[in-house]
Amino acid sequence: MAANMKAVKLRIKSVQNTMQITRAMELVASSKLRKAKERADNCRPYFEELYRTLDTIASGNTDFSSVYAREAASERWCYVVVAGDRGLAGGYNANLFKRLEAEAQGKDYTVLPLGKKSVEYFKRRGVPILTESFAEVAKVKVGDCFEMARMLCKEFREGNFGHISLCYTQFHNMLSQAPDFIPALPLMDLTWDDPKDRGPVRDLILYEPDSAEVFDAIVPEYLAGLIYGAVCESEVSELAARRTAMEAATNNAEEMIEKLNLHYNRARQASITQEITEIVAGAEGV
Amino acid sequence: MNTFKLQIGTPDGLLFSGDVERVVCRSITGDLAILAGHANFCTALGMGEAHVVLPDGTRRNAACIGGMLSVMNGECHLLATTWEWQEDIDRARAEEAKARAEAKLNETGVSEKEYQIFRAKLQRALVRLGVH
Repeated sequence: MAANMKAVKLRIKSVQNTMQITRAMELVASSKLRKAKERADNCRPYFEELYRTLDTIASGNTDFSSVYAREAASERWCYVVVAGDRGLAGGYNANLFKRLEAEAQGKDYTVLPLGKKSVEYFKRRGVPILTESFAEVAKVKVGDCFEMARMLCKEFREGNFGHISLCYTQFHNMLSQAPDFIPALPLMDLTWDDPKDRGPVRDLILYEPDSAEVFDAIVPEYLAGLIYGAVCESEVSELAARRTAMEAATNNAEEMIEKLNLHYNRARQASITQEITEIVAGAEGV
Repeated sequence: MNTFKLQIGTPDGLLFSGDVERVVCRSITGDLAILAGHANFCTALGMGEAHVVLPDGTRRNAACIGGMLSVMNGECHLLATTWEWQEDIDRARAEEAKARAEAKLNETGVSEKEYQIFRAKLQRALVRLGVH
């Protein structure tokens, strides 16, 4: 019985230690979350406006002189995958990768991973990686997004891939985040439906100086804006997911400690009873 | 004068949303002004001074760097990389950036890439200082 008591006590201690860590992580995540949410809230109107504007332009576009507006030159895809740097965030990373797998099924694709988890995942799967220089998603600033966008545009112009899509986690609220996909390039991808099904275009757009030059100038900025928006959304989603996961872990640990304490007390009582029985029996023997 | 809806957004937030009489900014080919009733239009923005005229006639100046301007069905969306209202510009910081960039550009042995970076920095500082 004494051995059992000791084992239970050790276990309680170890669970307590784990609980301390999960609680600390929960606190850290929630304090970081506030800042990240502010950033994402600031960025969201720009992100949505940018996408909507390009969408309107794409659906009304009749001029295909720019490489970005033309039909895809190759059937190869490039996914910009924004995942986290660390685990212990519930299903945050796993859900994103599952969604990506479903989307990329049967397609020939390259990835531009952001976040250490994403780099690790694609390395393990042997998927071609464009660059690993943005492995730490927490350090990505607006300037890095521009660099990425320039690189992607260059590759796109050279025809190394014909489609660019963003894969990130959309933040709905503190308790729900869902992986999401948005097509970025070519601009025809934005309109979803088959261009042949579209009715006659009524809204003609005036480009100055001409559409090719305008697209060449705005597409890198548009892509950078989209990537930055996706990074902000993903960051806040990751922190929210981690906070929820850690909250659940802390609650679980509390429950476990309660149960183990019960076990411990029962074992203690049993050993005391046994001791008394032994003493009484011994005294009777004398 | 007629007014139209204008939205100005940057990655740091939506800076302006409302009716204006006129918006003037610099595109990649030169200055342009948008008035109410403009046809559908799209252009890329360059670096330069910009201003909007509000319905009550007040003029707000700003520094505008990069981005795009589109007019769709009478609504104007100005999505800039940087858009700073005159009162928000940190002049001391811009002066500092200008001095630093100039010093760097005067040095010898600057690589081509660095040269480009500092030239862009100098340009941005000059745009900021030019708004008044």
